[in-house]
Amino acid sequence: MRLNYPSNVKIIKVPCTGKVDVIHLLQAFERGADGVYIAGCLEGDCHFLRGNLRARKRVEYTKRLLDEIGIGGERLQMYNMSAAQGPRFAEVAREMTERIMTLGPNPIRAKKGEAEMETG
Amino acid sequence: MIVAERKPLEQISSMIESNNKILIVGCGECVTVCSAGRKKEVEILASALNMVRSKEGKPVEIRQETLERQCDGEYLEQLRGFIGEYEVVISMACGAGVQFMAEKYKNSLVLPALNTKFIGVTEEQGVWSERCHACGDCKLHLTGGVCPIARCSKSLLNGPCGGSANGKCEISPDLVCGWQLIIERLSDLGQLEKYEEIIPINNWSTNRDGGPRKVVREDLRL
Amino acid sequence: MNKEEIKNPASDKKVGAVMVVGGGIAGIQASLDLANSGYYVYLVEKSPSIGGVMPQLDKTFPTNDCSMCILSPKLVECGRHFNIEILTNTQVEEVRGEAGNMEVSLIRSPRFVDEDKCVGCGVCAEKCPVKVKDRFNEGLGERKAIYIEYPQAIPLVYQIDRDHCRYFIKGKCRICEKLCKNEAVNFEDTEKRYALKVGSIILAPGFELFDPQLKGEYGYGVYDNVVTSKQFERILSASGPSMGHLERPGDKKEPKKIGFIQCVGSRDLQAGKGYCSSVCCMYAIKEAVVAKEHSGEVEPTIFFMDIRAHGKGFDDYYKRAKEEYGVRFIRCMVSKIVEMPRTKNLRVTYINEEGEPVEEEFDMMVLSGGLTPSEDAGALGKRLGIDLNQYGFCETSQFSPLSTSRAGIFVSGVFQGPKDIPETVAQASGSVACASGLLSESRGSMVKGKEYPLETEVKDISPRIGVFVCHCGINIGGVIDVPQVKGYAESLRDVVYAEEGLYVCSQDFQELMKKAISEHNLNRVVVASCSPRTHEPLFQETLRETGLNKYLFEMANIRDQCSWVHMRQKEDATEKARALVRMAVANARLIQPLEELSLEIKNKALVIGGGLSGMTAALSLADQGYEVYLVEKEAKLGGVLHDVYYTLEGDDVQSHLREIIERVEADPSIHIFKGTMVVDFSGYKGNFETGLMVGPGMFYRKLEHGIVIVATGGEEYKPVGEYMYGEDERVMTQLELEKRISNDTPEFSNVYSIVMIQCVGSRTEERPYCSRVCCSEAIKNSLKLKELNPNMNICILYRDIRSYGLMEEYYTLARKKGVKFIRYDLNSKPGITVKDGALKVDIKDPALGEDLSLSPDLIVLSSAIIPKENDELATLLKVPRTQEGFFLEAHMKLRPVDFGTDGMYVCGLAHSPKLISECISQAYAASARASTILSQERIHVGGVVATVNGDLCAACLTCVRVCPYDVPVINEEGFAEINMAKCQGCGSCASECPAKAIDLQHFRDEQILAKCNALLEEAV
Repeated sequence: MRLNYPSNVKIIKVPCTGKVDVIHLLQAFERGADGVYIAGCLEGDCHFLRGNLRARKRVEYTKRLLDEIGIGGERLQMYNMSAAQGPRFAEVAREMTERIMTLGPNPIRAKKGEAEMETG
Repeated sequence: MIVAERKPLEQISSMIESNNKILIVGCGECVTVCSAGRKKEVEILASALNMVRSKEGKPVEIRQETLERQCDGEYLEQLRGFIGEYEVVISMACGAGVQFMAEKYKNSLVLPALNTKFIGVTEEQGVWSERCHACGDCKLHLTGGVCPIARCSKSLLNGPCGGSANGKCEISPDLVCGWQLIIERLSDLGQLEKYEEIIPINNWSTNRDGGPRKVVREDLRL
Repeated sequence: MNKEEIKNPASDKKVGAVMVVGGGIAGIQASLDLANSGYYVYLVEKSPSIGGVMPQLDKTFPTNDCSMCILSPKLVECGRHFNIEILTNTQVEEVRGEAGNMEVSLIRSPRFVDEDKCVGCGVCAEKCPVKVKDRFNEGLGERKAIYIEYPQAIPLVYQIDRDHCRYFIKGKCRICEKLCKNEAVNFEDTEKRYALKVGSIILAPGFELFDPQLKGEYGYGVYDNVVTSKQFERILSASGPSMGHLERPGDKKEPKKIGFIQCVGSRDLQAGKGYCSSVCCMYAIKEAVVAKEHSGEVEPTIFFMDIRAHGKGFDDYYKRAKEEYGVRFIRCMVSKIVEMPRTKNLRVTYINEEGEPVEEEFDMMVLSGGLTPSEDAGALGKRLGIDLNQYGFCETSQFSPLSTSRAGIFVSGVFQGPKDIPETVAQASGSVACASGLLSESRGSMVKGKEYPLETEVKDISPRIGVFVCHCGINIGGVIDVPQVKGYAESLRDVVYAEEGLYVCSQDFQELMKKAISEHNLNRVVVASCSPRTHEPLFQETLRETGLNKYLFEMANIRDQCSWVHMRQKEDATEKARALVRMAVANARLIQPLEELSLEIKNKALVIGGGLSGMTAALSLADQGYEVYLVEKEAKLGGVLHDVYYTLEGDDVQSHLREIIERVEADPSIHIFKGTMVVDFSGYKGNFETGLMVGPGMFYRKLEHGIVIVATGGEEYKPVGEYMYGEDERVMTQLELEKRISNDTPEFSNVYSIVMIQCVGSRTEERPYCSRVCCSEAIKNSLKLKELNPNMNICILYRDIRSYGLMEEYYTLARKKGVKFIRYDLNSKPGITVKDGALKVDIKDPALGEDLSLSPDLIVLSSAIIPKENDELATLLKVPRTQEGFFLEAHMKLRPVDFGTDGMYVCGLAHSPKLISECISQAYAASARASTILSQERIHVGGVVATVNGDLCAACLTCVRVCPYDVPVINEEGFAEINMAKCQGCGSCASECPAKAIDLQHFRDEQILAKCNALLEEAV
């Protein structure tokens, strides 16, 4: 649908959000990502039955860990959307970027740039 | 298995505040099964500590290792070649593993990353609960296979106390009364008469009360 | 692809190719099943792209799945299948010859764009000056005169709309031609006629929505805010004209009160539509629910006659719509709609349940239009000489629902009669089994295989990466500095070659790519271009042709995820493209060739259940050339069909049953085990092992087979304790009545009055589903009784009459013959008493608001259909069931007869209550789906699957518990084992393994982290 969204959003493809592990998320922040979000299928619509539900739980766990670390759990987010929701995808990209702008750069790094992960 | 869980990150990072070269060692036995201390958790802890320190502008060097078991000397020996290069070692084993490593490596500072909780079972994926108190004198044959020492909050041996209400323990409404379980089980087995039998006063000397314990099998000793 | 050429195989043999006419979901499913079981397919579609109606729908009931999302994978598979030739803009003119050997004349209208040259980049459409009302958006949006119907269209080729193109009208323009760098536009394109030889034809031409302008009282086309249900789908759709914002077309205001009028062009003799369209009740409920989900403010109201929620899970959906979403249901037809001049609101007049006339204002009205066969389909039917019924649907019989009147031509989907998507899909697969049964001797004779060079060993060789960056015309090149990105790629470690191209996917560039691979010894290839969704298979194919494993490919998505979405930030886009290429190269360094294991297949089938469905499936499999084990628990074949004597349409069921049993017992390929139980089960698709206890001696027997069909059937619920059943012999079930009618007709000359009670044991708290067949069963028996004794007084007490589809005609007939239909509510069920030896039925008629008392001679209970005892079998086979005990298919909509486990299928009453013809369609469908496995010699498993490093595994059981498909097991050596043939490749186990002993191939942790690091490399 070619809807514009901020170019600092970059996508890493995984077969299912169920594949996204805590360590993937942590290492993204460790390497300096300012924000990470996971775009999974709508709940109840997981192609692999419940991968997106597992992902949500891992994201919740990692958010708490990021709070403990002092990076801030709000830099990590799980979104659910369907392949037909192009506008929603762009909206989320903008929403997340705005959120990160407000939070400022990842405290372990000064320069800017963001990374995101998503399902394929 | 022995069930453990990771200490709060803040506690771990404060232990290593002044150190710059750290070795994290995971254990492949019980703490793997309760998802507390094998490779996955080692990686997470290393990454988290890295970030805590980078954020403070005091980067650390962390090496990650995972041993088959930390409660056996031969496995611990695998660290010999490089353990000396590190200022501290964080063990992700149970308390036994941490101590044994410390015994083995007299010059290394070995720190615990886990709180060792109890001997228990996996109730369901992600949920573990206590079953055994390691009292050293098993009575499960008398109580229908439900342990009064571990499952009753007061370790009573002859029926519930007055705090048992609606099958729950007075300590928490979520906790089932151990004696409720015993009675139900005996009645399912048709052995309720066992409930009538008085279990004599417990000899706690086999428990921790007798001091640190030891098991020796002469036939197996070399 | 030279379509002019007539394929001419040896003439004495049947032709191993099938033509599928119609590219909707039925045509797509039929094509895929055919092509996957050894037949070459010509998929003929009259419009520019396949997909049919499903792409236009927003969600599908009862699961609320996104319609496009579930269809899209099938579209793509169809588009890239070697053995499916999609012929768009094409219509069938004539068919000559006999079943097995037919010649089809085709007419292809011009597209004016060369299918082989157009890469679907869309530059032409962007610059085309002409805007046209968009048929895909039902006239609510606009497209250009050069267009694709929808973004996911297959084939992804543009088309010029001759009626609106400026050049064709005014003789000047040709902007598209100038812009197209591939020279794909061809204004000289002409109509072409040619012929093809096929063995069989499957008709799936689909339907049209009834034109509501024919019902003038609703003001469609006159009032702004009266829309059709399909327009409303587009309004709800995120890809629709209002981007998923719920607004009325007149003034873009968000509507609050939305009314739906049912049966517009259905159940309407005046409009010449004496049938029920079967799907409108459910789609209206769905649209109401989805509208409510869009905005909680919406107040939907549905005006209906009967709610026909007769499918699996439908009644539950209806109940939730009512109770959870607050959808208002009013049982009344709307007599007229009047538009309010200022507000453009609509005033609706109707009679409420209390019998009073009411006027109510709505913001928007949706007309639930019925399904009618398209005019084209009717004309096609006539040209082919097949029988059509009075409405233009294809004529079929109850016992061969998929055969047309002309041998070798089969039918599926709505052209056979109104139906929903799952039934359409089942019929599509079913018609494949029919065609395959006819042509099995020629299976495999026309399919194209492909020989690839031996794969180059790359495992221990350091990576040599080639990067190819695409301009995609101006799609990428107009935004991103492609030469700069190419230069950057060259600078990356392990990249030994980089090149840019105008269209990397074009034929000539593919040749260039192959040359580069061999000249530079490339062992990893990165393409930076459009999207893997559409193009990955194409590039992987090129790799295979050069002897590289197809997994040695990686794509950087610099169009869909970069140039298209950052069009206005050119510099940022180039920067991002560099990062995406860097990430792709980082991953390419680590990707490994993946071996696919080839396993032999046991080409035998196991069918569990010897009723109508099981026997039909077994016969169809035998016709297709497979050996079948047919297991029946009882001592005789036939199941519950022994209790059915005639159909609504007048077929003699018992003689059909006898004939089927005779055929099954005489078929040398079918091995029958009667009085036999399944006692153990193991294996995976292609290789199952099943243990039986074979009656009557009960000895143990082990079978090896490649697929399983579960057809364990259902039975009539015996409502003991309800309505005095079992207490008074004058109270009986419909099947018991049927038996008495068939055995002893004179008995009924003394019966003057009968009361039938519907929904006994159905649509209740305990059994919330509709048993689907009881309404037609009651109508069937009433008509039979009226035949025996025209003066008999018959009253049917009902909640909703669900004589869906063409059965509606019999409902009309029954009323004409004087059968009385009296409605009751669940909270005031009929009461039965015996007074002085006479039966008495008390009921409150909600229409009249009066208490009625009836004194029938007999009471007949339309009792529920329940599944046969199957819990042990379900546990053995590890297949899921619904709460009510029916087996649960893999996907309610598009995989109606597949279990989630590959190689296992379900059909008939074991799946849900259904009619004889529906059981037969499903049985054929299961047989066709099974043939997609049985027809292969070997199956290839592996690729993107999880693998375990046994040395690291702690046997902690995490993977065993986490896997949604129950694949991992702890093996005898004490570590987890994941069967490649069963693994679906989601990676859930890999990300949960505490020992990190599991990796998902092609998405290994190492790779994901490398991508992550490459992305952030320059940031740190």
